[in-house]
Amino acid sequence: MATIFLALLAGLAALFGISILQYTLAGFRLSSIVIVAAIGLTVIYGIRGFANFAYGDLMTLGAYVALFVNMNLALSLIWGAIVSFLALAVVGILLEVLIFARLEGRGPVPPIVASVGVGLIIQNGINWGGTTQQWIFRIPAVTEIPIVPGIGFHWIRDFGTFVVGIGFVVSVHLLLTYTNLGKAMRATADNLELAKATGINTKRVTYAAWALSCSFASTAGILLGLIGVLSPTMGFNVILLIFAAVIVGGIGSPYGAVLGGLVIGLSQEMSVPLLIWLERPDVLHLEHSTAYKVAIPFIVMIGVLIFRPWGIAGRPPAFARRVFFMERITKFLGRRGDATEPVRGEGGG
Amino acid sequence: MAIDSGTWINVGFYIYVSIAFAILALGFNLQWGYTGLFNAGIAGFFLIGAYTAAFAITPPTPPSIGYPGHLGGYSLPLPVGAVLAMVASGAVAALVALPTVRLRADYLAIATLAFAEVLRIFAINLESITAGTIGIPGLPAPVEFNPPNAFLNATVKVAVSAALILALLLVLYFMAESPWGRVLRAIREDEEATMALGKNTFQYKLQAFALGGALMGLAGWLFVITLNYIEPTGSSAATTLGFAPAVTFSVWVMVIVGGAGNLRGSVVGAFVIYGFQWLSVQLKDLAPTELKEGIPYLRLMIVGVLLIVLIIYRPEGILRERKRVLR
Repeated sequence: MATIFLALLAGLAALFGISILQYTLAGFRLSSIVIVAAIGLTVIYGIRGFANFAYGDLMTLGAYVALFVNMNLALSLIWGAIVSFLALAVVGILLEVLIFARLEGRGPVPPIVASVGVGLIIQNGINWGGTTQQWIFRIPAVTEIPIVPGIGFHWIRDFGTFVVGIGFVVSVHLLLTYTNLGKAMRATADNLELAKATGINTKRVTYAAWALSCSFASTAGILLGLIGVLSPTMGFNVILLIFAAVIVGGIGSPYGAVLGGLVIGLSQEMSVPLLIWLERPDVLHLEHSTAYKVAIPFIVMIGVLIFRPWGIAGRPPAFARRVFFMERITKFLGRRGDATEPVRGEGGG
Repeated sequence: MAIDSGTWINVGFYIYVSIAFAILALGFNLQWGYTGLFNAGIAGFFLIGAYTAAFAITPPTPPSIGYPGHLGGYSLPLPVGAVLAMVASGAVAALVALPTVRLRADYLAIATLAFAEVLRIFAINLESITAGTIGIPGLPAPVEFNPPNAFLNATVKVAVSAALILALLLVLYFMAESPWGRVLRAIREDEEATMALGKNTFQYKLQAFALGGALMGLAGWLFVITLNYIEPTGSSAATTLGFAPAVTFSVWVMVIVGGAGNLRGSVVGAFVIYGFQWLSVQLKDLAPTELKEGIPYLRLMIVGVLLIVLIIYRPEGILRERKRVLR
C-alpha cells in the first residue's frame, strides 16, 4: 500500500515537478482532520443508523468554544481544546436525550431532518449571538522550516494536525479493541437486538457514542480552525467532504473512515496540479480551475456509491457482492423488470 | 384605489415568490411525500431550471470590460423558456436518479446534496457560461410596459404565477389520484410488497424523481421571469430564494409544515413559511437597532426549531394526508 503510494508520488513528481510535495503535505493535513471527523460521524451513523447533518456545525461549535477559552480567558489553545472536548461531549448527550431518542425507530429521514434543524440553530446562533466575522486562534508564532524553495513545514499547522490525527486513530483502535465499552459499541452497531439480549446496556452505549462523536467533532473543528480561519460556516462547508470519507470507507466502520479520510483528503489536494494543467489555454482553458478541487471527493464518492456501496474497506454483506454483479450483468444484457434488490450499505461494523 | 401602489408591489412580490417556493415544494412533495425519495438537492435542480431559462430568454449580452458574458441570449419567447427549463431539469434529474434512486434514503440525501453543491461550484466558477458571481441581470418580465409601470408589472407577474400554480395543481391532482399515483404511494409504504405485485418500482421511482426535478426547473423559470436577475452564490436577504442549501432546507420545512403527501399542504406550507420570512423583512424597521442585524439569522434559527419540533410532535403537518380506505 505504502509502496504503491510512494511510486505514485514519484511518478507525479516526475510529471509535475517537486511542487507536488506541497500538495501531498496539504493532502495529509486535510486527511488528518477529515479522519478525526469521519470517525466521529461514522460511530454515530453505525449505532444510531442515521446521517447526522449537524456534524459540520458541531465542529464549528467546538472550534468556537475553544476560541472563547483561547481569547477571553487567555489560556493556551490546548486548554481550549480540552474544555471544548468535554463541553461537546455534554452537548452530544443532550442532543440524544432531547431530540434523537424521540425519533428512534422512525426510519432514517426524520432524524436527518431534525439534525438539519440542529445545524441551522448552531450555525445561525453563532452568527446571531456571536459574530459573523472571521477569527484565528491565538497560537505561539513559529517559523516555517523550508523543505524546498517555496514549500515550508509548519510545526503547529502540519506536524500538530498529523500527531492529533494519528493519536485519535490509535486511541479509537485501543478503545474498540481492548475496552468493554468499545466492544459493547461494536456489538450495538452490529446488531442492536442481539446486543440487548446479551445484557449490554445499549442506552448507555448510545450516550457514550454520542459523547465520543461530538467530542471528536470539536477536535476536528479546532484543527480546521488551526489550518485556516474560524467562521460560522466553516463546518458546514466541509460536511460533504466528511460524508464522502464515511461513505468511501463504508458506513459504520471507524477503520474504513481512516482509509476514506486518506482517499478523500489526498484526492482533493493532489488533484490541484491536474486542475492547473487543465487551466492552460492549449488544454481546456478552464477558468478558476483550482476551485473545482472540492468537487473531486464527490466524484470519488459517487463512483463508490455506484460500484461499491458498502465502501472500499467494508466487506460486502453476505451474497450482496454476487447478487450485485449478477444484477449489473442482467441489466447490461437488457433483461428488464428484474426485481432483485440486494441488501446494501450494511457493510463494516 | 383601496391600496397604494407601493404596498401592492410589495404584496405581489410576496405572492409570486411564495408561488415559486410552492412549485419547488410540489416537486419535492412528489418525490418525498408521494414516493418516499428524500431529495436534498432541490437547489441544484432549481439552479438548472433557472439558468436554462435565463440562457434561452435573455437578449444577447456580449462580453465587455467588467462583464464576462454568458451562454445563450437567444431571446426566445417565455413559454419556450419554461419548456426548456423543465426538460433540462427533468433530464438531469433522471440522470441523477439512475445511480442514486436505488440507494437507501440517507445515501440518496447525501448524494443529491453533493450534486447540488458541485453544480453551484460550477455556476460560480464557469464565468464564460454563467457570468459567475456577477450574475445575469436584465432578464425579461412576462410583459414589458412602455413606459415602465411597476404596478402593472407586479400585477402581471402575480397573474402569471397564479395561473401557473392553479394549472399545476389541477394536473398534479389527477396524476396523484390516477393508478400511477397509487403505485407511487404504494412504493412509499412498502416497496417490497409493490414489487411483489409485479410493479417495476425502479421505473416508477425514476419517473417520480424526474418529474419532481422538472417541476423544480419550472420554479427556476418562474424565479427568472419574476425577479429578473440571477446569481449563484447564495440567497439574497430579501427573498432567501437562491441556490444555496438553505433553499433546500426551507422547502423541506414548507412540505413538513404543510403536510407531506398532499398537494394543498405544499402550497399552504410555502405561503406560511415564506410569509413568515417576508413579514420579518417587512417589520425589520420596527425592531430595535441592536436586533436588526441579526434578524435573518434569528429567522433561520426559528426554521431549525420548527424542523425539530414538527418532526417530533407533528410529522404529518397542518393538513394531514387524506386516509384512503379500501371500499
